[in-house]
Amino acid sequence: MADDAALPTESHTSPLGGPRTQPVILRALRRILPPLCVVAALLAIWEGSKLALAIPDQKLPHIAAVVEVLFSRSRGGSGPLLLTQMLLNAWATFRVALGGFALGGVLGFGLAALFARSRLLERGLMPYVIGSQTVPILAIAPMVVVGLGRLDAPDWAAKMVVAAYLTFFPVTIGTLRGLRAVPPAALDLMRSYAARERDIFLKLRLPVALPYLFTSLKVAATASVIGAIVAELPAGAREGVGVMILNAAQFYNSRPPALYAAILAAGLVGVAFYGLVALAERMLVRAPRSNDG
Amino acid sequence: MAETIIAFDRVSKVYQSAAGPVTALQDVTLSVAPGEFISLIGPSGCGKSTLMRLIGDLEQPTSGTVRVREKTPEQARKDRDYGIVFQAPVLYDWRTVRKNVELPLEIMGVAPQERRERAAALLRRVGLGDFGEAYPYQLSGGMQQRVSIARALSFNPAIILMDEPFGALDEITRERMQDELLGIWGGAEQRTTVIFVTHSIPEAVFLSDRVVVMSPRPGRIKRTVTVDLPRPRTFETRESPRFFELVTEVRESLREG
Repeated sequence: MADDAALPTESHTSPLGGPRTQPVILRALRRILPPLCVVAALLAIWEGSKLALAIPDQKLPHIAAVVEVLFSRSRGGSGPLLLTQMLLNAWATFRVALGGFALGGVLGFGLAALFARSRLLERGLMPYVIGSQTVPILAIAPMVVVGLGRLDAPDWAAKMVVAAYLTFFPVTIGTLRGLRAVPPAALDLMRSYAARERDIFLKLRLPVALPYLFTSLKVAATASVIGAIVAELPAGAREGVGVMILNAAQFYNSRPPALYAAILAAGLVGVAFYGLVALAERMLVRAPRSNDG
Repeated sequence: MAETIIAFDRVSKVYQSAAGPVTALQDVTLSVAPGEFISLIGPSGCGKSTLMRLIGDLEQPTSGTVRVREKTPEQARKDRDYGIVFQAPVLYDWRTVRKNVELPLEIMGVAPQERRERAAALLRRVGLGDFGEAYPYQLSGGMQQRVSIARALSFNPAIILMDEPFGALDEITRERMQDELLGIWGGAEQRTTVIFVTHSIPEAVFLSDRVVVMSPRPGRIKRTVTVDLPRPRTFETRESPRFFELVTEVRESLREG
């Protein structure tokens, strides 16, 4: 987001004991090992329950079968690897989600900045903002896709709008809370400098709101992926995880593992997106270790 | 009084609370000379913080008039006539110590080079010359409060308002901070006017030219005790018989019905 450029991003080194230094490999291991263990446990539960409860392959395929499908070729062996297809589809969904995230993020932030300035606007608009989120996205998505399609907008535009629709709300709520979390004394201080509204916003409200903003961006990141996938479900879409899920569901009887592969792709996009936001947060927000405002 | 920098004329302040109106200040008349160090002392609810906030245009009187440098407090605030130090240091924790001191200068449009120089000089003056690039959380409470004082001094305001600035510090740190504050204040060529709100009787006597004793419900000025201890005030000042006499005088003023 463009507004972040104005923020203080001082270096993290300091004369008084910076971050603890640990071997890089050890740190990476500590980070990667727990989720790997969880994956191992889940796989064990998968195969274990299949064995214990005698679940047929039709309902729950073997893990090996899912992996095998990933490395099989489509169109009777002449097409690309399914894994390649999956990654391409995931990439397509990721791009849509990113666009929707940016659109929704800017919209959400703008609304929060407006509401922070004017209680009147907040009272007037907030009910509709909340109301918009109680309408199921499955009902909204086809309307947007068809509606924008009539206007000859490109395919991706409609998908991005649906992703943005799910993104802006958490950003508005989180940012608004952050913009209002300024300690009164910090505001008195600004007042005593006869600071302009612009300075109060850029030098006080925004930095205070930043941790809140990033918390809501993390929620929004996964929501925008869901939005992108749902927007790929209506007929007409050619690529994306949503298309993969639809196809796999259609041919579930003949090839169950494909659906699992599609779900894996959805998860992959979500985790990658979340990771990206978390990375941006680490670069922009100082660790919250203050004892006052 | 020859010259007046702050003048209160029959000032009252009434707050509207859920339980009805509360008179925080009643009929306060007070004048402060330029360069004076004034302490406001009294129990909680005596309106001493309110009085300070009226000077700084952080609140407005219900009746009566306040004049600061022959202007309204609002105009004085817009002219950046006062620096403020709260009980909590109120540092911006995403800024380094140096950037915190530079904050008012940034807002007032001082050039980066001059900002840097002034911040560095001030940090040296408060004994934190080596801590410019540290972050607030890395400093002790006393050090943080020194940064807050440096920040208030950074734009050379005519008046410094201090609201229990040492209230959260331990007794030992507190006395050292008092010495340092007087060192900074007394060391300047032209003394800044200081309005200092405190709960501590020895602190008020040690620092001030005059101690304004206040009483609660409604908040009003009971008495003003003139402190005739010689300056510069040192460790010996705290041990002198006159110091104890004045402490007793203030204490008795506080206790009188």
